[in-house]
Amino acid sequence: MKVAVVGASGFVGTRLVEHLVLGRVAEVVPVVRSFSSLAVVARFELPWKVCDVMDPISLATAFAGCDAVVHAALGDPGQIVKMAGSVYTAAEKAGVKRLVALSSAAVHGLNPPPGTDERTPIHGRQSMDYNNAKVRAEQVLRKSRELGKVELVLLRPSIVYGARSRLFPSVVEKLISGTAFLINDGQGICNGIYVDNLIEAICLALFCDKADGEAFLVGDADTVAWREIYACLADALGIRLDSVHRVIAPTFRKSFKERVESFVATPLAQSILPAIPGEAKRLTKVVLGALKRPMPPNAWTLPEPPAAQIDEEMTALQQCVWKYPNEKAVKLMGFQPPVSFQEGMRRTIAWMEFAGYPLNHR
Amino acid sequence: MPVAIVGCGAISRFFYSEAFKALAGPERLRVTALVDPSRENLSHLAKDFPEARRFAAIEEADIGREHLVIVASPPKFHAAQSILALGKGAAVLCEKPMAASIEDAEAMALAARETKGILAIGLYRRFFQATEAIRALIQHQSLGRLQSFQIREGGPFGWQAASESFFRRSATPGGVLYDTGVHTLDLILWWLGEPVDLIYEDDAMGGLESNCRIELTYANQCKGEVRLSRDWKTDNRYTFFFEHGFARWTVNDANHLEVFMEGLPVSMRGELIHVSQKGERVIERGIACTNPQCFIEQVRNAAAAKRGLDSLKIPAAEGIRSLRLIERCYRNRQLLKMPWMTADQEIEARRLAVAV
Repeated sequence: MKVAVVGASGFVGTRLVEHLVLGRVAEVVPVVRSFSSLAVVARFELPWKVCDVMDPISLATAFAGCDAVVHAALGDPGQIVKMAGSVYTAAEKAGVKRLVALSSAAVHGLNPPPGTDERTPIHGRQSMDYNNAKVRAEQVLRKSRELGKVELVLLRPSIVYGARSRLFPSVVEKLISGTAFLINDGQGICNGIYVDNLIEAICLALFCDKADGEAFLVGDADTVAWREIYACLADALGIRLDSVHRVIAPTFRKSFKERVESFVATPLAQSILPAIPGEAKRLTKVVLGALKRPMPPNAWTLPEPPAAQIDEEMTALQQCVWKYPNEKAVKLMGFQPPVSFQEGMRRTIAWMEFAGYPLNHR
Repeated sequence: MPVAIVGCGAISRFFYSEAFKALAGPERLRVTALVDPSRENLSHLAKDFPEARRFAAIEEADIGREHLVIVASPPKFHAAQSILALGKGAAVLCEKPMAASIEDAEAMALAARETKGILAIGLYRRFFQATEAIRALIQHQSLGRLQSFQIREGGPFGWQAASESFFRRSATPGGVLYDTGVHTLDLILWWLGEPVDLIYEDDAMGGLESNCRIELTYANQCKGEVRLSRDWKTDNRYTFFFEHGFARWTVNDANHLEVFMEGLPVSMRGELIHVSQKGERVIERGIACTNPQCFIEQVRNAAAAKRGLDSLKIPAAEGIRSLRLIERCYRNRQLLKMPWMTADQEIEARRLAVAV
């Protein structure tokens, strides 16, 4: 089997290429957007393709001769939606049999109501643009599947962790700087999936006969509270968990700048933008940049201990009380996550140490 | 002095172009020829030097004894282009890495000797006052003997590569060690000389490494560890542990350094300034050069050497040293331990790494 991996230089893409090549699972064609993105891909001598992932013609050339495509590319909200269409169209043009697209459990929101599963309707009216973009991308792909021949499997992982992930290193950085926080003492559920468990789901999705046209929530087998994640990371750093700020979840309101940025990411704005003169866009950026400028510090104050840096995404995630079920993936694809939470965290922390995070005073 | 720029890619556009604009007045350096097989590259650089003549190949350019030639093409072309320019009596400033192989580098050095020409190598970090100060700390043992050092350098690959030549084994002899590592190893050699022993590991599995680790041991028992990455963000710090303190340097910060001396309650991090002392009078002579100023200075040094006004700071013999050390590393290559791999993946990774 020959598989094209779109987004092969990203976190999941990098590990997927490692898995497919080192496990001799399939011939791999890594697809990236720029030559610079080849730096990590090039550890292997592979027939990679550098192309514009928004352009179906360019992508179709990259997919030529491939039996399947895995779409694991990231982007801003506008790109996420546009890429979904271009990847499916290109797969169709190239005669690809199956497309496995990485969507996200975020289509259900970051704090889903109990009982949420794949049958729960999704909507694009969430507060975070990324979530709405993932919803729209799924809609584009499903519509394309209705009209096209390429089989489609949608995977909805939630918080993917492992070597090269971004979320847990950012928690580590906040733990070090003393700005990390826990809501409700960290009792909320972390819907995590270790990257190798996601790779397992991708490989099943590539081959499973019953998966065409389906979306699957996929996560670790273990139900884990945020407190356990923070405890693991704090322990690796030699930091006491009780030193982490305990906070009450605040209400978030979008600033003017964020509201403008949200609007710019919508399909309507994206269609209008090319007609707006470059100078006007530049001036808008200058004005928005000026709004963000912080006040100069007052010299007549004593240094204060670091305060919790509370962001909307982590606040929503930590309030989650529902563990997404794997039942559908288990039933239709035989999904059994091979790596436990403990082992996944051990490997993640080992990677952080390898990457130079200051975890050596354990 | 007329100047020919051979290779009009990113390094010429973002660095040499600015340097020659700065040197046009005070040093009377005029860019008269641009050489590159790509018309697009030529047009970009011609915007800065509209009077320069454009050529697709160095053989077509009217280079003579009076020229300073900047060789900033991909490394595999450095030897032929430098030797040709030296043969015409021109002075050459060749970008790092000096060449694609030791044999090529030696041929370049031989050509410079035979023609009695100037062949400078673009290892411009040696022009930083911060790296000069580290060298002085090590040599004069102001903080005692150097006991160990740690180097972490690199981050996600950000250079706007115009082709895949950076990443294909058929086009370039190495990955991050051969690219970023040339600067790093050049400084280490300049500061400490040759190591007696080394262990080298990288993550290439049939291709080119994006991460590597080197353990170096010196005759005086000093030990060092170097980690280079094109993969994830490192802290880009060099830390030197002496008997009586430590020094820390942030990569590419030409005129700042941090020094901690035993007995002090705090560490000192600050700007480097030139001073002189006359008895109890300290006279400030200005802030040390910034990174771009050091880049300009290396070009000025090559031009001044050509005019016989200054000695060449980084001649060919110095450029070859880091290439030799890199070759020694690759000869001793082992697979870097990647703790997220499964046992089976590690076996296959080792097989692919050895097969190269």
